[in-house]
Amino acid sequence: MEWLIFAVLGTWLIVSALGVVFVKNPVHSILFFLSSLLAMAGIFISLGAELLAGIQLIIYAVAIVVFYVLVITTIPWEKVKRFEGFYKKELIISAPALVILFILMAYMVLKGKFATPVGVIKDNVREVGKTLFTSYLFPFEVASVILLVAMVGAILLGRREEG
Amino acid sequence: MSIEKAYILLSIGLFLIGLLGVIVRKNLITILVSTELMLNGINLALVVADKVIGRVDGQIMAFFVLTVAAAEVAVGLGLIVAIFRLKGYEGSSEITQLRD
Repeated sequence: MEWLIFAVLGTWLIVSALGVVFVKNPVHSILFFLSSLLAMAGIFISLGAELLAGIQLIIYAVAIVVFYVLVITTIPWEKVKRFEGFYKKELIISAPALVILFILMAYMVLKGKFATPVGVIKDNVREVGKTLFTSYLFPFEVASVILLVAMVGAILLGRREEG
Repeated sequence: MSIEKAYILLSIGLFLIGLLGVIVRKNLITILVSTELMLNGINLALVVADKVIGRVDGQIMAFFVLTVAAAEVAVGLGLIVAIFRLKGYEGSSEITQLRD
């Protein structure tokens, strides 16, 4: 059963990731990205990370994808049309290199041993919340500062120069 | 082969597909989408590591990766829109100099 879920979701994920890279139209590419996010949320649920799956759906699949589409609509379409698709020469050079890299990493993973487990998680959401607000409280606050700085930077970059 | 190793291989494949997208795509926006794919691959590896060890620290790391991804998207798309409005560039091969 586990392997069946892995096969279905993994195939879905890889096919939509390849679609993101190789489809011509940017809007279609973003739709493939949305599909890969849904597959990823399913994988998170099957791995027992329910909170992360929900956050993935809310933040990625709603906020970030809508933001991308919004930005594409602000750019004139004929300009986007001039630069769609991918560079052929770079693809021919880089694809074998990346395949070799994948084989090397896969060899490392298959030959290596995992660490021994230290415990069993029963209630995922409760455990994540407890750890996030005790051990990781300071990084959590730093993350909020990062988001604030990103918001200020985006407003600064996005405003029109009035003079 | 255990299921965790298969998931790790899947995450490596997703990361490398995203890297391929960053290398070969022409459009700036799709390059950013490919970086999101790479971040997703990292998230998957972190969650699988969590399942192996039996703790939740990896999921919290994935949570921070998500936060940084949101920030990166805001700033990156702002930069792309600014580049487009100031110079009219939309392809990655057109940007050859940083100064005016």
